[in-house]
Amino acid sequence: MKRREFLKNLGMVTGAGAVTLTISGIPIKAFARPFMNIKSTNGKILVLIQLKGGNDGLNTIIPFEDSTYYNKRPVIGIPKANVVRLNSLTGMNPSLQPLKQLFDDGKFTVIQNVGYQNPNRSHFRATDIWLTASDSNQYIYDGWVGRYLLKTFPDFPNIPPPHPMAIQIGSVQSGVFDSPEGGLAVSFNNPDSFYTLVNGINADSDPPPATIAGDELKFLKEIAALSIQYASVIKEKADIGNPVANYTAGGTFGTQLKIIADLILGGLETPVYLATIDGFDTHSNQNRTNSHPLLLTRLAESIKAFQSDLEKYGLADKVVILTFSEFGRRVNENASGGTDHGTAAPMFLIGKNVNGGVFGNNPSLTNLDANGDIKYVYDFRQVYATMLRDHFEMSATEVDQVLLKHFESLALIKTTTDVKYDFDIPTDFALKQNYPNPFNPTTRIEYALPQSTDVRLKVYDMLGRNVATIVDAFQSAGSYTVNFDGRTLASGTYLYALETNSERIVKKMILVK
Amino acid sequence: MSTKNYLKKISVWDADTARHILSRALFGFTKNDVTFALTKTLDDFVDNYLLQDLTEPAAPQYNGADWVTLPHNSTNQPNYPLWFRSMLYWWYSLMLNQSYSLREKMVLFLHNHFVSEYGTVQVPQYMYIQNKLFRQYAFGNFIELTKKVTIDPAMLIYLNGNVSTGSNPNENYARELQELFTLGIGNYTEDDIKNIAKALTGWTVNNTNLVSVFNTNRRNNGTKTIYGITNTFNDGVAANYNVGPVIDLILTEKPIPASEFLCRKLYKEFAYYEPNTDYVTQLAAVMRNNNFNLKPVLSTMLKSEYFHSVDIRGARIKPTVEFLLSALKQLGITYTNNDLPNYIRTTADSLQQSLFNPPDVRGWEGQRKWISTITYPTRNVYTDALVNGKTINGVSYKMDVLTYARSYPSSEDAVQFIEDVSKQLIQFPLSQARKDSLLSTLLDGTTVGNWSTYSPGADTRLQKFFKALMRLPEFQLS
Repeated sequence: MKRREFLKNLGMVTGAGAVTLTISGIPIKAFARPFMNIKSTNGKILVLIQLKGGNDGLNTIIPFEDSTYYNKRPVIGIPKANVVRLNSLTGMNPSLQPLKQLFDDGKFTVIQNVGYQNPNRSHFRATDIWLTASDSNQYIYDGWVGRYLLKTFPDFPNIPPPHPMAIQIGSVQSGVFDSPEGGLAVSFNNPDSFYTLVNGINADSDPPPATIAGDELKFLKEIAALSIQYASVIKEKADIGNPVANYTAGGTFGTQLKIIADLILGGLETPVYLATIDGFDTHSNQNRTNSHPLLLTRLAESIKAFQSDLEKYGLADKVVILTFSEFGRRVNENASGGTDHGTAAPMFLIGKNVNGGVFGNNPSLTNLDANGDIKYVYDFRQVYATMLRDHFEMSATEVDQVLLKHFESLALIKTTTDVKYDFDIPTDFALKQNYPNPFNPTTRIEYALPQSTDVRLKVYDMLGRNVATIVDAFQSAGSYTVNFDGRTLASGTYLYALETNSERIVKKMILVK
Repeated sequence: MSTKNYLKKISVWDADTARHILSRALFGFTKNDVTFALTKTLDDFVDNYLLQDLTEPAAPQYNGADWVTLPHNSTNQPNYPLWFRSMLYWWYSLMLNQSYSLREKMVLFLHNHFVSEYGTVQVPQYMYIQNKLFRQYAFGNFIELTKKVTIDPAMLIYLNGNVSTGSNPNENYARELQELFTLGIGNYTEDDIKNIAKALTGWTVNNTNLVSVFNTNRRNNGTKTIYGITNTFNDGVAANYNVGPVIDLILTEKPIPASEFLCRKLYKEFAYYEPNTDYVTQLAAVMRNNNFNLKPVLSTMLKSEYFHSVDIRGARIKPTVEFLLSALKQLGITYTNNDLPNYIRTTADSLQQSLFNPPDVRGWEGQRKWISTITYPTRNVYTDALVNGKTINGVSYKMDVLTYARSYPSSEDAVQFIEDVSKQLIQFPLSQARKDSLLSTLLDGTTVGNWSTYSPGADTRLQKFFKALMRLPEFQLS
């Protein structure tokens, strides 16, 4: 297993030499050095909300005109009459009513059928996939946000930014912030008690020995350093912020969003926050009032309060909320009034600058995978790519570096320049006969992708030699038309093949010069 | 192809070796414990003390009254929060007072392996029954334990086995049985999950007698195909209908993944969180040769040279409860009522280890996940409190710094004293810079020549010294 690399230089906290400093008596500005070479963020903020346990997408966003939904969920299906309608085919669980106004105002987007190829149904592996932005069979040890932050703050840890790069409300740091320079988030539950606790903590630059145990010591020192560095500015900004909305109905999750609102309103420039709501592993009796409905109520009430505070203080255009969960749940309910682990599910995007609405069609409940689970349409990394490119305005090259390969973004943010939104997502993987055929020297090839995927369109001669590659890229679900130019080839019959990692279609075409 | 023999027995048995083994096997240890261990041979100490079969402790009581056998019903339910706490304090006490036994560490290991959460189960009697089962099998046969756990009432409730029926099986237990309890991800298919779920149907919980019961009407009578083997798996053995054949099948069809999976977890718990593959492979062979009996495996691991190497010593971040309890033991702080355990409980909650309530079915991930920007300073505040004195209901729970210091023959020699105390309290070797810094904290302006525990203000200096020592990141390691 690859060991993570950690902060190279604890001197970042105290300067060179084995000096021991405490936060008491030392002006915090000593830690908050100027930006110098550090690329700043564009001032935008992403609030990630993790729905832990695997949220049941089908009882969250409901295809209330689809009789299959009610056939497969006779006990737990949300009755059509109770659904909060978003359009003629799609509605919300009644517990999400607090989000209806945001939807009507165009500030809430439901992204349908988000997943990835060869989905994993283990909570832990699936969570790792979502946090690291890996393929299903790819093992990565740092988080996608960690990679984003190191691109944005390339001089970290030598020149730490004045405000935390990321904040997690909680006590156990999420893998989404892991990076080759260590975990990059500051974690706490309350800004004031955090400050009080940290007062008196020590950090030093005594280099640990180069042993396995030394690595663990180094890790402990980094955590100490992070707390010292940022406790003061966190408290200062929390003291300035003044959220006025009522988060009570959100329960302890509401408290998390209230703290985040407090810090944003106070002027903290941290670009990424993570809040977590747990309890979505609803294997039994999920419609009882203190189960799934309560979780959705807390989620919706908290988001509503949060948005209202941002609007009130004129900060709503800076911030986007994105929800995610490790998987959706099986289409068929189980005998216990619950649902087992499934696959693709909707994500929520909330903010003043989002393209509000329902993005994508209801899932097909008849065209399922071998396990009885929904087939994904959009890859979750397309949503991440969209956040990085259209919200954080990263360059296309950098987005690809953060996500480890290219993913086409989706038209989810108003500033987007290209539109990939397509209601007519094809239902089948298809390659049409080229036209004209025979051709000289160019011809048109159409194909259809029901899922976002890596795709290759290649031309072979009759001996099986690959003579041309027309497409070799990750492409979003949709219909595509490409032109093929055969002027470098000799007359004759050729094969053209459309390939993904799981499927292949081959057709013939004739070039007559 | 010759691979190093990682299981070769260590040839040295000295104070450093003894401290390492004690730090991993117990919830804290004292100077006297090291002395005692060294009066035995390594073999004797490991096999006849650490791995000794002990009698079962008396069950927890609330206010002097038994509750663990009382039925689960609405009359008893209002008492559950109090009963639950009495069980928690009972377990803390077993951990602190287990003498030279690895047993409670293994009980906690098994609790974190076969996870059930009180928050879901909500019946303290069932959590007690499960805890007792782990204690019975702490050094026992893993296959038998897995069979018992499969129909353990708390587990049937926690992973929905009690609502899984033949016509509509619930996959929750069948998945975690393979992913987290026996094989690890990648060693089974989604179809295996579905078929094992079917095969294990029929079990429910009887809340009056606090036992699991088998109901033929709820079981699946058809054939199931698991790992390519087709059978009804209805064995008709009353003690554990169907469970026996299914668990046997997992461990006979997949002995290598199962033994390696379990040895990896043992390694992560007792040695280091990033397992050494060769070591695990070799230990797993020992496990298979001993038919999944845990005792020979633990014995081999604790005595192995690699377990005692510099790679492993001081490389483990103390889990929360171990951190909290071991500090009491190390500093000689005792209690007679529930006030201090209650403080331990609330501190453990904020430090993310609430016993009987792991965060999810995978349990506590451990090592670096124990430490965040919030838990690290919270740990410091706790050790400060034990030196300054934590006053609860008029009683101060406090380290007696003078008595503690004078228990060291070197107490009047500041330099040697720091050497001896830091070796006893910290497994990670301190750098010279650290020792110098501790020395200047201890002397606080005076000179080495003038240092004495009998000089005025020595207690205040010692307090500062012990607080500084336990605030060191090195103190988090064991």
